[in-house]
Amino acid sequence: MTQGADDRSRAFPVPVPDADTQPFWDGCRGGELRIQRCASCGTWLWQPRPVCSSCQTPGPVWTAVSGDGFVASWTVMRPPTLPAFADRVPYVLLLVELDVGVRLIGYLVDGDGRWLRSDGAAEGVEIGRRVALRFHDQAGTPLPCWTLV
Amino acid sequence: MTRPTHLARHRQAAVVGIHALPFSRNIGTTERHGGALAILGALADAGLSVRDVDGMFRYVWESTTEMEMARILGVPNLKMFGEIDYGGGAGAPTVGLAALAIESGLADVVVVWRSRNRSSGGRPWASQLQATGQDQFERPYGLVRPVDGMALHARYWIHKYGWTPEVTGRVAVTQRQHAQRNPAAMMRKPLSMDDYLGSRMIADPLRLFDCCLETDGAMAMVLTSAERARDLDVVPVHVTGFAMGSGPQMTAMTFYYGEELGRTPNRWVAPELWRNTGLAPRDIDVVQLYDAFTPQIPLAFEEYGFCGEGEAPAYMAEGRNPPYNTSGGGLSEAYVHGFNLLVEGVRQVRGSSTSQVENVRHCLVTSGNVVPTGAIVFSKEPW
Ligand SMILES: [Zn+2]
Repeated sequence: MTQGADDRSRAFPVPVPDADTQPFWDGCRGGELRIQRCASCGTWLWQPRPVCSSCQTPGPVWTAVSGDGFVASWTVMRPPTLPAFADRVPYVLLLVELDVGVRLIGYLVDGDGRWLRSDGAAEGVEIGRRVALRFHDQAGTPLPCWTLV
Repeated sequence: MTRPTHLARHRQAAVVGIHALPFSRNIGTTERHGGALAILGALADAGLSVRDVDGMFRYVWESTTEMEMARILGVPNLKMFGEIDYGGGAGAPTVGLAALAIESGLADVVVVWRSRNRSSGGRPWASQLQATGQDQFERPYGLVRPVDGMALHARYWIHKYGWTPEVTGRVAVTQRQHAQRNPAAMMRKPLSMDDYLGSRMIADPLRLFDCCLETDGAMAMVLTSAERARDLDVVPVHVTGFAMGSGPQMTAMTFYYGEELGRTPNRWVAPELWRNTGLAPRDIDVVQLYDAFTPQIPLAFEEYGFCGEGEAPAYMAEGRNPPYNTSGGGLSEAYVHGFNLLVEGVRQVRGSSTSQVENVRHCLVTSGNVVPTGAIVFSKEPW
């Protein structure tokens, strides 16, 4: 494989955390999915924010969750896409609704968190299917992903 | 006409000039160049000159600022100017702000335009590898194309309402039929339901013909007061009202983190629009509904109250809907962030569409549906 511009053009997009989102990615590195919860009114909040949108209390608390949930919606990623994904398509992208009530994006992965080249048909992906959290290592970045249960 | 009484609006705005450069895959000029020519064309259409212009509004995504455009054209002084964000949601709000500037008396002749080399200029999502802000939770997964976000919405709508592929296929076929009568449209080849059903998946459940075109296009519109419009040699197209809306928990380009999956900001725009205009769906003779993707059409008929929730498939199959996207729209005429829908809305009220609806009194034009957005009603008669 050659080095240089060609490699960079095939790089995966990487999350660039800021102070409001760093705890989320720190959690992922420790194998923990963290969602913010308001200490005052109990509302679960996504995406990360400095203030509770329900009661306006500052400083929602990062709270570990199981990551259990269900498929709220899904699509199959196909060409044209970013060069990094060109030899990985098709793959299933999930909109997962966690049991705590917030929705996150993630890949459909296998039971060990490995890449699944799939259009979802063999696995029987459908809205409402239960899913469990897995972390998928993408070039050193642990991404929350889900597997069907 | 009933003038809405709850708003302090002391004079009405009217569209008096429109112009579009020929749509193409490669326009061969800069967006700045195309925009300038489109504006000059719209001013000529209105019988006005650059010296008359005292207001300008644009999309945030327009690459030429209103200051640069005013300087290039030689506008003596801009008394009102500004820009609206959020991609295809900006169309009706940009024209609406122009109308508001005129209604308030703060400006007299206002220009809006959209010039976008979306075909020759490449795909804006293709090179951004540093995912900041809300993108850091989506872009690393390759979720970068507008079609991917729309597919997640569309899958849910199909599931919730039991849409067959023919529901969206009918939209693609109908709009292609309109485009075949429009010499300016980019896609005029016949499109059958079988062609639609056989087209490849782009982001399941969305097929190729569910997606809008990739177009280089430049268009502009000129507004002035209805009073001044009477002195011009044009058919004035009155702005009866407009509305904007975001809904709760909006994330700019998607609405699937919102409290209730399946809704769009149109749920909030629609009641405000009907209140602002004093009109109801039954008063609307023809519509131009934002159509970056086919599922947006049945959903808009429901969200704007033309039919009840879940009723759009039967409503449209039975042909009870007003004619929609009569130029071919974003799917078959051109995709220029919905600005061509606004221009076609003006043509319908003027009586100059290539798919002209008879006796148009009111035309509804909407903008993007899973983004902060807005809608506007163009009318034949003043308030
Ligand atoms: Zn709270």
